[in-house]
Amino acid sequence: MKKISGFFKAIGRYFKNFGVAFAKGDIWVKLSAVIMGAGYFARKQIVNGLIMLIVEAAFVLMCVGYAAPNLAKFGTLGTVKFEQVFDPLTMQTTTNNYDNSFQILLNSMVALFIMLVFVLFYIHNIKTVYKLQQMKENGEHINTFKEDMKALFNEKFHITLLTLPTLGVVIMNILPILILIAVAFTNYDQQHLPPNSLFTWVGFKNFASLFSNSMTVTFGYSFRKVLGWTLVWAVMATFTTFIGGILLAKAINSKTTKLPKMWRTLFIISIAVPQFVTLLLVRNFFADSGIVNTICSNIGITDLLKHAGLVSEHLTYIPFLTDPHWAKVMIILINIWVGVPYQMLIATGVLMNIPTDQIESAKIDGATNFQVFWKITMPYILFIQGPALITDFVKNINNFNVIYLLTQDVFVTQNQALANSHAKEVDLLVTWLFRLTNEYYDYKMASVIGIIVFIICAAFTLISFSRMIAGDKEEEYQ
Amino acid sequence: MRKKVLSLTLVAAMMAGCLAGCGNADSKDEGTTAAAGDSTTQAAASDDAIQNLIDATTGTVDLSVWASEEDQDLTTQVIEEFKKKYSDVDFNITLGAESESKAKDDILVDVEAAPDVFAFADDQINELVKAGALQPVQATYTFDVANENVAASIEAATVDGTLYAYPMTADNGYFMFYDSSVFTEDDVQSLDAMIEAAKKANKKIAMNVSDAWYVYSFFQGAGLDLTLNDDGLTNTCTWNQAGGTDVAQAILDLFKTGVFVDMDDPTQATAIAEGTICAAVNGTWRAADAEAAWGENYAAAKLPTYTVAGKQVQMASFSGCKLVGVNPHSKNVGWSMLLAEYLTSEDTQVTRFKQRGLGPSNINASESEEVKADPAISALAAQAAYATPQRVGGNYWTPAETLGSILAQGNPDGTDLQKLLDNAVEGIEAPVSQE
Amino acid sequence: MKKTIGSIVKHIVLLVLAVIWLVPIIWLVVTSFSGYKGINTAHFFPTSWSMDNFVQLLTRPDSVVQYVSWFKNTLIIAVFTCIISTIFVIMVSYAMSCLRFNGRKQIMSASLILNMFPGPLLMIAIYFILKMLGLTNSHFGMIIVYSAGSGLGFLIMKGFMDTIPMSLKEAARLEGASEATIFRKVILPLCKPIVVYQVISSFLIPWGDFVFAKLMLNSGVSKDWTVAIGLYNMLEKSLVNKYFSVFCAGGIVVAIPISILFVIMQKYYVEGVTGGSVKG
Repeated sequence: MKKISGFFKAIGRYFKNFGVAFAKGDIWVKLSAVIMGAGYFARKQIVNGLIMLIVEAAFVLMCVGYAAPNLAKFGTLGTVKFEQVFDPLTMQTTTNNYDNSFQILLNSMVALFIMLVFVLFYIHNIKTVYKLQQMKENGEHINTFKEDMKALFNEKFHITLLTLPTLGVVIMNILPILILIAVAFTNYDQQHLPPNSLFTWVGFKNFASLFSNSMTVTFGYSFRKVLGWTLVWAVMATFTTFIGGILLAKAINSKTTKLPKMWRTLFIISIAVPQFVTLLLVRNFFADSGIVNTICSNIGITDLLKHAGLVSEHLTYIPFLTDPHWAKVMIILINIWVGVPYQMLIATGVLMNIPTDQIESAKIDGATNFQVFWKITMPYILFIQGPALITDFVKNINNFNVIYLLTQDVFVTQNQALANSHAKEVDLLVTWLFRLTNEYYDYKMASVIGIIVFIICAAFTLISFSRMIAGDKEEEYQ
Repeated sequence: MRKKVLSLTLVAAMMAGCLAGCGNADSKDEGTTAAAGDSTTQAAASDDAIQNLIDATTGTVDLSVWASEEDQDLTTQVIEEFKKKYSDVDFNITLGAESESKAKDDILVDVEAAPDVFAFADDQINELVKAGALQPVQATYTFDVANENVAASIEAATVDGTLYAYPMTADNGYFMFYDSSVFTEDDVQSLDAMIEAAKKANKKIAMNVSDAWYVYSFFQGAGLDLTLNDDGLTNTCTWNQAGGTDVAQAILDLFKTGVFVDMDDPTQATAIAEGTICAAVNGTWRAADAEAAWGENYAAAKLPTYTVAGKQVQMASFSGCKLVGVNPHSKNVGWSMLLAEYLTSEDTQVTRFKQRGLGPSNINASESEEVKADPAISALAAQAAYATPQRVGGNYWTPAETLGSILAQGNPDGTDLQKLLDNAVEGIEAPVSQE
Repeated sequence: MKKTIGSIVKHIVLLVLAVIWLVPIIWLVVTSFSGYKGINTAHFFPTSWSMDNFVQLLTRPDSVVQYVSWFKNTLIIAVFTCIISTIFVIMVSYAMSCLRFNGRKQIMSASLILNMFPGPLLMIAIYFILKMLGLTNSHFGMIIVYSAGSGLGFLIMKGFMDTIPMSLKEAARLEGASEATIFRKVILPLCKPIVVYQVISSFLIPWGDFVFAKLMLNSGVSKDWTVAIGLYNMLEKSLVNKYFSVFCAGGIVVAIPISILFVIMQKYYVEGVTGGSVKG
C-alpha cells in the first residue's frame, strides 16, 4: 500500500517539477517549449541545441508522415477491404488502396510508443534547460559538449551502457507485448485475417468467453484443465531435476566413490547433443511401435504391466506417450533425463564450495550424514540456488520445447471436451496457445491466454523476487 | 463449357476496352491487338495476352514456387522447361519445399510473404480462399483448365462457383493395398474375411483410425453424413443419429480382433518394410513402399466392406486432389498463372505419373493405358464410387481425431457410445468464431 | 564391512543410472551408422552398418538435406548472436550491479517481469515488426531475434558482479579512473568465468531453436535454414522413413562443436554459474 502511494507521489512530483521549471523559467526556457534547442543555444551549448532541434524535427516528420495516417485509423482499425481486379488481356492485377488491420495496429502502437518516449524526453528537456538557467544564474560552470560526452563515460556511464540493450528490448519485447495486449481486445482470428479481411475492437468479450462455459465452447473448462497441469508440471519439473541433480552430484563427489570424473563425464555426454535432437529422438524411442515397446513386449514387460492393470487389456504396446497418464509421467521422467546433468554440474560447483568447517563441527557433535545433508547442505544450497530455482520455475511454466517436441503429432487427446477447444491433457498454456495461433489462427484467444500466463508468472516472480530486489542483499557482499 | 464462354467474352470485352484506350500506343502494340480483334478463337486471344505480357515485362521476373519435398526434382526440371519455353524473358525462379498437406499452415501466417505459386491439398481450399491466398482462375492461356481436367478435380478446385486453382493430381484419396500371398481377391471384399486370413498368416492389417481423415470412412459408409455448411467453415454431422452407435461398436469390434491395428503413416512404412503388416488403408504415397517390399505380390483394391449390426457395409472414403494455386499478392501474377498452368499441363502430369506414380487429373493423361494399368490408380478409380470430395470445416479434425483415438484404444473409460458420439458431434459442429 | 556394502550398492546404482542416461545416446550413435534409412523399430542395433548417412549429410545435398549450408548459416548466426548478447548482458549487468542511478531498481523489476511473457505468442508480432524493417528471411534478422532482447538476461551475471568487492572500485576511483576505465580494466577481467558462461549459453541458442527460425525463414528454400529447422524437417511424416538415420547423423555432427566448446570451457562454466553466489 505504502509502495503504491509512494509511486503516485513520485509521479505527482515529476509533473510538479515540470510545472515549476516551465513557470519559473526565463524566456529561453519558455521558448524551448516550442523550439527544443533554444535553451541550449542561450547557454552556448550549440551542439546540444542542434541535436534537440534535429530530434524535434524528426519527431514532427514522424507524426505527419507515419503516426497521423495510422492513428487516424486506430479507432476502427481500417475500413477499406482488400479488392483486386485482374485484367485477362494484360495479365496484370490492380489492387485498391486497402487497409491492413494488423499493420495499422502495429504502426499505431509503434507511433504511440515513440510519442510517449518523446513526451518524457520533452519534459526532461524543459527541466534540463531550467537547470541550465539556474546554473548560469548561480554562476556555475556549464559543461561544453566535449565535457558532456565525457560524462557519458563517467557519471552518466549507465546511459551509455543501457541505450542499445534497451532499444533491443523495446523491439523484441515491449512493442510485441503491447501489440498482443491490444489484440486481446479485438476479434483477430481466422474469420478476420488480414490482409484480406479487417478486424476491429470488441472490448472485453474475449475475456468473458474464456471464463464462461457456453453450450459448445469449452474454453473455460480447457483453460482450468490446462492451467492445472501447467502448474503441476512446473513444480514437478523444477523440483525433480533440482533434487536429482543434488543427489547425483553428492553421490558422484562422495569420497567413497571411485572414479568420480568418469561418472561425471558419462552423465554429461547427454548435454552435448542439442536438446531438441534428444527430445525428438526419445519421442521415437518410446513410440507405440518403437524400439522400447518392441523390447518390452519381447521380454514380457508389456504383459506384466497388463496384469498390473497399468496398460489396458486390448493394447499390444505400452502407450508411453499416447495415454494421458503415461504421457504425463513420461514427460516428467524424460525432463529429468534432460535436466539432471545440468543441475548436477551446477550442484557440483556449489557443493565444492560448501563451508566445510560447519560440517566438521556438526560431525564432531555426532550428527549423521543424513542429518548433515538435511540440516546444513540443503539449506546452504537452497540459499545459493534460490533465485535460480525461481527462474527455473517460471521457465518451466513456459517450457515450450519439451512438451511440444515430445507430444506434437504423437499425442491424441481422449477427452472430448478438451478436443473441442483444441487442447490436450499434456498441453501447457504456452503450447496450447501456440496451437491456437499456429493451426487455428485464433490470435485473440491466444492473446487472452498469454496475458493470463503473464499475470501468473509476473505475480509469482514479483512475490518471490521482491525480497531480493528490495532487500539490500546485493550490497551485503560488496 | 459455360465457363469457357464466359472467360472468352471477358477477354473480348477487355480487348475492346484496350483497343479504344491504347489508341496512342506505339504501332507494334496496335498491330498485335488489332490482329487479336479479328480472331475470335480463344487460342489467338491468349497468345496475344501472353505476347502482351512478354512485351510488358522488363528486367528479371522473380518467382517463388513451393512444391513438396518429393516433387522437388520433377519441379526443378519442369521449371527449366518453362524457362526455355519463354526464352525471351529473364526468370529468377526459386523453388522451396513445403508439403502440400501443410501449405496452408505456413501461408496463412503471412499471405503477402507466401510464394507466388504453390501446391496444396484440396481440403485447404476453403480456408485459403477465405484468407485471400488464391487468385481466381479468371482466364486460361495455354490450355483449358476447366475442361481438360476430370470433373471431380475441377469441383475440388472450385469455391462458390469460382475456379481458384489448377488441378495437379487426382489421387489424394485412400484405398487399400495388400499382399496377395496372404489374401485372395475374394478375401479383400470384406474386412471380416481379411481378418481371418491375416490371423492365419500372423500378420496385421493397418489403418490410421485415430486420424480424422480415416475415421470418416466408417461413418460415411454406413450412411451417416458429414457436410460442410454454406458458410464454408462450419459442419453438419449426423454421426450421433440412429445407427451411429452401431458403427462405433463395429469399430470397437474390429480392434478387439487384435489383427486390425491403428498405425500412423510413417509407422506403416516401417511395418511394411519389416513385414509385420500385410494390408493397409493408405494412399499412393505409401503404396510405393509396399510395392517395393512385396514385389510381385503387391496388389491394390477398393476398400472392403465391414460388419455393422450384422450387415455388410461398404467403407467410404475421402477423395482428393492436389492443386496448384497462385498468390494474388504476387508481383507477377501473369507469369505465376502461366507457370501454374505449365506445372499442371498434360505433359507435366504425364511426366509426374511416370516419375512418381501420381495419378493425373488431366483427362487425356488419366486415360492412357499406362495409367489405367497402375494398380493403385485403378483401385482409387474403383473406390471413386464410394468416395466424397473432402470438404469439411476446420473444427472437424480435432474432435473426430479424438473420437477415432478413443475407439482405436477400445473405449478405455467405457463411456456410453451415444454420449461419445454426441460429444464428438458437438465439437465438429461448433461455430468457428468462438465469441 | 557395512561401509563396503554401501559403497558397492552406490556404485551399482550409479552404473544403472549411467546406463539409463547413455542408452538413448548410444541408440543415436548406432542408428546414425545404420544402413537402413528409416526408424528401426525391431532391433536396437542396426542390422546393416554403413557410413553412408554421414557421407550423404556432408557431401550429397538435396532439397531435404543441405547440412553444410545449414551448418554455415547457424554458425554465422550463432557467432554474431554470441558476440552481441554477451556484450549486451555485460553492459546491463555492470550498470545494474556496479552503478547507482535513479530508477535502477524499477528497471530491474520491470525487466524481470518482461521476461515472463510467453515467447511463442510474441513471435507473430516480432515477425511483423521485423518484416516492417525488411529483415525477415535474412541472417541479420535472425541475429536480431536471438540477441536484441538478451539484455533482459542479466540476472546471473549481475549476481556474479555483486560479489566483486566494492573496495577495488573505490581504489580505482581514487586514482582518478573513469567509470568506463574501471569497467574495462578492473571489473571485466574478474568476470571471466561468468562471461564464458554467457558466451556458451548464447552461442547455443541458435542451434536449438526451430520455432522462431521456421517462422522467420519462411521462404521454404532449405538452403537458407538453420540446422535446427533442417533436422526437424527430416522428421516430417512424409520424410521420416527416408531420413531418420540421417537425422541421427546430423544430431551427432551438431554435437561436435558444442562438445568442444563445452570441454574447453567447462571449468569456467561451472564456476560462472555457481561462483557468483559462492564467493560471498
